[in-house]
Amino acid sequence: MSGMKTPVSVLRLPRGPEPNSRGFDPTSPRFIALCPTTLPSSSSSSGSADEEEQRLRAELRERFLRTLLLMTGKRVRFDMHEHVRVHARFGASDIDVLNLQVCDLETPLGVQREALLRSQDVIACSFEV
Amino acid sequence: MQWSAGSPRYWHEFVNHEVCVTTADQQRFEGRVFTVDPVSASVVLLSVQESERPSVRVILGHAVTDVQILRRGTEETERQMKSVLLPDRAQSLSAEELKSRRESVRLWLEQNRVPVTEDGEVLRVANALTISAPYRPGDCSSANEIILSRVQSLVESRPGAEAPP
Repeated sequence: MSGMKTPVSVLRLPRGPEPNSRGFDPTSPRFIALCPTTLPSSSSSSGSADEEEQRLRAELRERFLRTLLLMTGKRVRFDMHEHVRVHARFGASDIDVLNLQVCDLETPLGVQREALLRSQDVIACSFEV
Repeated sequence: MQWSAGSPRYWHEFVNHEVCVTTADQQRFEGRVFTVDPVSASVVLLSVQESERPSVRVILGHAVTDVQILRRGTEETERQMKSVLLPDRAQSLSAEELKSRRESVRLWLEQNRVPVTEDGEVLRVANALTISAPYRPGDCSSANEIILSRVQSLVESRPGAEAPP
């Protein structure tokens, strides 16, 4: 694994945002997950249950976003399928956690300056605080 | 039941407890649950080993097949976890210290003719502003800039208030 510092050109660029939409995708996992709770409830009792659910959701999501913030710029180990492990510097995730932007991805072919990992290919990410 | 089909209420039950997460490829990850992302069902684990730097593992929701609680956490473990992962929010104050600080802030505001009531752990000023633990100027929250500014400078000038770090 010596000579890992040779940059390798990016083989495939990520797809940009849709040019014709307003950026809101009703088929995205996020919308589908949130859709039932965005409908107004009819009775007051289920209203407060929705409030509690929303409060928990917000708390959980905020903690997750702060975890991603903590991960930004750090060298992260990605465990992929078939026990493949790679290291890279974490850049960002998209809102639905479907793609992970990384740089200096160390692969057997060399170091990819910029890369996009599909979250479906990743099992876990580990880093030191 | 599939892990990613859970609800925020269900996932929240695991927060602060030590768990063992099994993934689709039969790997096992142990650690304390910091959170479960409600969008992707990803589990964030904190593992603190002696003489090692704390490490965080994010297990993507789609890969989780099982989560078992090994040991339940306590207020202390919650505090430790927050101090590592939420350093700005770290509460180094105990419940008694928080209560006495809250009381001290409340009295100071009253002495300065500010109408304040206690609502559980939160101080409320004239239904327009709230102060949450640990009752520092930055913990004031209001939609009214004038009231916010007034109350913040009062909280800051409270005699005996600890200097900000």
